[in-house]
Amino acid sequence: MHKLLDILASGVHDAKNQLFIAESLIAAAEAKHGLTMSEARYAIEAAGNRLSRTLAAYGVLRHDATLGVTPVLVADLCEEVVLAQKKHLSGENITLTADCQVFDEWPLDRDLITDMLNNAVQNAGRFARDQIRLSAASEDGWLVLRVEDDGPGFSALPPEHGTGLMVANRLAELHTRKGQHGSLHLSNGGSLGGGHFELRLP
Amino acid sequence: MSDYNKKRFLVIDDQPQARDALRTIAQTIGAFAVEFASNYQDAIYRIRNNAPDVILCDYMLGEGRSGQQLLEELRRFNLLPDETIFMMVTGEQSYEQVVSAVELVPDDYIIKPFSPDKLVLRLDRIVAKKNFFAAYYKEKRKQEFARALAILEAQRASETGRPYRFEILRQQAEVLLASGDAEASEKAYRTILENYEFPWARAGVARSLHKQNRLTEARAEIDKVVAGTPHFFDASDLKASICMAQGEHAEAQKVLDEVAKKTPRNYLRKRLLAEAATLNGDTETARAAMADVIANDTMPGAISPEDRLTMARSHVDAGDKISAEKVLVGMRDAEVQAMNLAEQASFAALLAISSPEKGKTRFAGLRPALLGSDLGPTASIDVMRAALSVGDHELADLHTEQLMAGLDAKKVFGMIRTQYALHGREKDFREIQKQVALKRIHHEEKPAA
Repeated sequence: MHKLLDILASGVHDAKNQLFIAESLIAAAEAKHGLTMSEARYAIEAAGNRLSRTLAAYGVLRHDATLGVTPVLVADLCEEVVLAQKKHLSGENITLTADCQVFDEWPLDRDLITDMLNNAVQNAGRFARDQIRLSAASEDGWLVLRVEDDGPGFSALPPEHGTGLMVANRLAELHTRKGQHGSLHLSNGGSLGGGHFELRLP
Repeated sequence: MSDYNKKRFLVIDDQPQARDALRTIAQTIGAFAVEFASNYQDAIYRIRNNAPDVILCDYMLGEGRSGQQLLEELRRFNLLPDETIFMMVTGEQSYEQVVSAVELVPDDYIIKPFSPDKLVLRLDRIVAKKNFFAAYYKEKRKQEFARALAILEAQRASETGRPYRFEILRQQAEVLLASGDAEASEKAYRTILENYEFPWARAGVARSLHKQNRLTEARAEIDKVVAGTPHFFDASDLKASICMAQGEHAEAQKVLDEVAKKTPRNYLRKRLLAEAATLNGDTETARAAMADVIANDTMPGAISPEDRLTMARSHVDAGDKISAEKVLVGMRDAEVQAMNLAEQASFAALLAISSPEKGKTRFAGLRPALLGSDLGPTASIDVMRAALSVGDHELADLHTEQLMAGLDAKKVFGMIRTQYALHGREKDFREIQKQVALKRIHHEEKPAA
């Protein structure tokens, strides 16, 4: 089984290297000719994230997923999600706002949590009318990260066909600290009245 | 955004296309001077000659080397100023798990593919952090530990230090350990662990306990780290060192055998493996490991007189006196003359054992100095062995007594016993052991001064 993981990981690694070469060529062309091809770069990065997520899902399904936890500034985390998503969303006439009320570092798996938030924002982007709100708050010793939109909300709760959701749930749970586990909650309503994604980390 | 057009970049990647891609991205964010290194050796050469401002290093460097190994070697040989930005670039998710576990980390890492904007965001943050720690770096470089600690303590309490609180704690613990205050560093690492179970902090506790010679506790801590994060290779090295101090040489060698296989070109680890194998009586493994080190550790100036002495010693252990003599005689005169007393003692002792006609006189000439000095365990064992072989019981017993009374007694016990047995002096060894024990009891019964 380990061999299969190695093969997958190596394939993903090579593919991401190729994607990086493509992105660098686009960036060079943009700089040289004064073009903006951010949607092409967005698609490339989305493909890279998708590959990473697939590998993470594989780990979760095999029950040997492990986290790489470092102290992360929550504001930096939010900033990176905004950087990755804002331009693309504005092309769809959706405004992404971020409100980070946590000023300290938090021990978490930066790449996994960033990817979960990116994914949540992308999902929200499919249903939002024109607003998405990303927020971070510290509530009773928990870090609470929220993605809310002003769309119609989830049509079914919990949503059906949830492999991605199951994986995300599991990755949230893997975040443990002093005997407490992270968790993921989906609901409707929230501050913008639509879908409400809430990730709670100890 | 910082002025990246004024900064010197070094891109390290063994793949030409990926190298070009990194350069392109660096140029897109304004970099003007971008140098390349296509392999490990070349990278070290360039960094040594003229440290760049920003290093973008791919994690996979080919030839069994990784960017992480490069980083560790640069840090250990003090080739990387704290002011230089080291950014690891990787397509591997798994690198995140390395960074979260190990003690020696880059300033940051970034996963491919990434946009120029994201790189700028990450670099800007590092620049801000380096500015924040600038005064501390200066004192640390001068080894002004008290001043470095005072700066960190003030920063820890400040509002501007809020985003860096973990980093401040980590630096405090490292400086305390480097300054030799192992009790304080243990406490500092435990403070970090109260917040989160970071493997590097747990390893720091083990390191601090080891320095305090609290071996059983150190072992329990490091066992936890190695079991939880097998990819944290330095933790395995530390475990092996603790095992050796406990006299568990077989376990030490087993641990090192495993990690050395995964990191075939880490020559510091190979040296440690040679040490464990020697203590464990596996002379062939020790010889092979040292031969590999001397032939292949191409880090400039990496092969020290100590390495050659170790090589000669492992030949002696294997009963190959001709090879041992060859190594010793092959050392340059200037190198031999520049050695400290302990190394000179080892040199003379090993030569006296491997080639009595060439070494005996030199060894006898050093005798007065050898009677009066504490040489440290390695040289002391060499002297003891040579003294036994030339029948100088007084000198041999003196060093044995020193060794058995010292902190490394458990580590060297088996080796000394073997040597005395070889010369039919087991009884005398037991007598020395008894005397040392009696002295210790007598000493402990004395009221504290």
